[in-house]
Amino acid sequence: MQRGLLPGVRVLDVGQGVSAPYCAKILAQMGAEVIKVEPIEGDSSRAMGPFPNDIPDTEKSGMFLALNANKFSVTLDLTSPGGAESFRKLAATADIVIQNPPPVSLEDLGLGYENLKDGNPGIILTSITPFGGRGPYKDFKATDLVLYHMSGHAHGVLGPVKNPDDDPPIRAGGYQAEFVGGMAAATATLMAIYGKRMTGKGSNIAISSFEAMVTQLISGLANSAWGRPAPPRDLAKVEEAAIGGMVGAIGGILPCNDGYVAISPREDDQWERWLIVMGNPTWSMDDRYSTRDARQKNSPSLWKLLSDWSVNYSKHEIARLGQAQRVPCFAVNTVLDLMSDEHLSHREFFVEMEHPKAGTLKYPGAAYKLSNSPLPLTARSAPLLGEHNSLIFGGLI
Amino acid sequence: MDELPLHGIRVLDFSWIIAGPTSTRFLASMGAEVVKVGSARRPDPSTRGPAFQAYNQSKLYASLNISKPEGLELSKRLIAISDVVIENFAAGVIERLGLGYEVVRSANPDIIMVASSGTGHYGPHTDYVAYGSLLQHYTGWNSISGYPGRGPVTGGLWADPWVGMELAMVTVASLNNRTLTGQGQYVDFSMAEALSACLPEAVLDYQMNDRVKEPIGNQDDFYSPHGVFHCAGEDRWVAIAVTSYEEWMALCGVIGRPDLASDDNYADAEGRRQHNDKLEAAITDWTMQRSDREAMKLLQNAGVPSGPSQDILRVFQEPQLSETGYFSKVQARDGNTRYLPGLPWRFEGAQEPILTEAPVLGQHNEYVYGELLGLSAKDIDRLVEEEIIF
Repeated sequence: MQRGLLPGVRVLDVGQGVSAPYCAKILAQMGAEVIKVEPIEGDSSRAMGPFPNDIPDTEKSGMFLALNANKFSVTLDLTSPGGAESFRKLAATADIVIQNPPPVSLEDLGLGYENLKDGNPGIILTSITPFGGRGPYKDFKATDLVLYHMSGHAHGVLGPVKNPDDDPPIRAGGYQAEFVGGMAAATATLMAIYGKRMTGKGSNIAISSFEAMVTQLISGLANSAWGRPAPPRDLAKVEEAAIGGMVGAIGGILPCNDGYVAISPREDDQWERWLIVMGNPTWSMDDRYSTRDARQKNSPSLWKLLSDWSVNYSKHEIARLGQAQRVPCFAVNTVLDLMSDEHLSHREFFVEMEHPKAGTLKYPGAAYKLSNSPLPLTARSAPLLGEHNSLIFGGLI
Repeated sequence: MDELPLHGIRVLDFSWIIAGPTSTRFLASMGAEVVKVGSARRPDPSTRGPAFQAYNQSKLYASLNISKPEGLELSKRLIAISDVVIENFAAGVIERLGLGYEVVRSANPDIIMVASSGTGHYGPHTDYVAYGSLLQHYTGWNSISGYPGRGPVTGGLWADPWVGMELAMVTVASLNNRTLTGQGQYVDFSMAEALSACLPEAVLDYQMNDRVKEPIGNQDDFYSPHGVFHCAGEDRWVAIAVTSYEEWMALCGVIGRPDLASDDNYADAEGRRQHNDKLEAAITDWTMQRSDREAMKLLQNAGVPSGPSQDILRVFQEPQLSETGYFSKVQARDGNTRYLPGLPWRFEGAQEPILTEAPVLGQHNEYVYGELLGLSAKDIDRLVEEEIIF
């Protein structure tokens, strides 16, 4: 059985940080041959961490290791004539080039789409920038934080709050906006290479991480298109007080003796079965909780009753009892819970790789299993800086 | 004229609600012929409301009642002429409906079947009942978001649209493989794993340092200042992220605080983090004097990454989006012109993607059953009568 979906596809990853390397990571785990072209000092994510014992080390950055497994690494100073020439030769052998300027902009180095096309007419260049290199914000800078807030996502993360002026919107943890830019880029790039197989033509793809983030809010934008107001952040203004901002259906989190559990027994049948889990408390006969609409309307007092009950149990206990009754409920997990989760372990979600400097570590794997083409998720751990210089340039130049 | 990249691909789309339809919208807009099938017997729960109009742009929509044997047979005939089948029912449902992968493959040996569910299609919790909002908790995704010391955050509509894009990605990857090998594929997709895969730094931090990552609000592990600052007006904030010494200098210049620029206590991010309260006060003194947009403009002109924290309506009105042609303009069924979301990519100088209005159930029955399957008008009438095309 062949490994992966993209045998014979060669990708140059000129990206730094998160978004472009994440895009290239997806292609690498799909089986493409991905060569990272790093500046002499290395991809900036080599400085991001986390590091073992918090001691910075170019070869031990957790973010770098996770985003660059299954890739090769060469170093090139693209600002020097020799480096640019080597890159041009390498690009002539590639199907795809991925970049996320700044700091490295192929156009500024005379290595943009038109230049690359000269030596490789079918080349696909995928460029991820904060604002797509167009429009009034063309030259604006943005980070994960800025993209999360500008695109409308931050307003929804907390749910409604009592004092919006004291309790500002927040971004989600990690690098979600960067991942969205990278996933959009990978999706578009795969479409382009499919198109190239059919027509022989390459593509010049521009990804605006801002637009990619905005597109994630497709339902909210559709509501806006139909003239609906934005969901308020002010709790007092939320007409139907759905706990936790999940307006339209009851749901939210309950305190437990060891953390929290998230539940949403929104449909009548789910609610009936949830009452069985709780031992059919007498208050459930109350008119305030007897219909879906009533439960929605009285959710603050209802949530108090549920919390008084839930606090006596553990989060996994409630998740088990609830799911046994087919009520949507899950423990609120930390990464610690995740790494000992029996379901994920059974599905071999985490994959282990040994790295010569960072040691043996488990990494999140892919969200998909393929019946006919097992993915090469652990073909090689993340490369050392310039590890493949002689392998790649030796054969090529 | 150039064709769109997915021209010639036919997708039979059994998916519903958000994630599945979002993925097939991407495929349809890039040239695939997406035939959404559904039944009045159990309509797509997202049918009512504007979001359906966006999730289902550019698709065909045929009615088909696969709970009847003849309906099931028709679905197999459609599978036989399709390249991709996609579904996002709870795990086990498609098999109970009689369209498990074995059946689908026997109808079309090189089919690509993409199956998405909350926790995937095997494993001890495969039957767990899931909603995207709850999966954000189960997967640890929410555990790194929020303010320190408070309970978990509860909002954030993330799982479904994220999975929608990833489903499109893996579908197209599988199509690429099929052109090389002629081989189809069954794709077992877990929404939960899609979210857990986005926390690599937290997973590695735990292993490297025995640390369970706590949420830090708008703060950052490396950069400072890094947060939102109150501007003039109710609930108005500008997000500012300083990622280099140059940007720090520029910020001090914009807010008129050369004293901070020359103060050694603030020379690096670590120092600035330690004096965060004073720093925040200094920045807020400046931001409170102006609107969030004005603050962004002044900061960006000086090279400081920044932007307003916006609600969805302000995003909808964003000049950056309207002036760059992001929205898809459609003549909606209600007679009004509506501006629906666009796509997260642009292919420069290539054929424009197709973004048309969403169909209604059964709108394309005649094309699907008449033209594609070659049924006579009389047969179609009978199937409608017998609630098979229904």
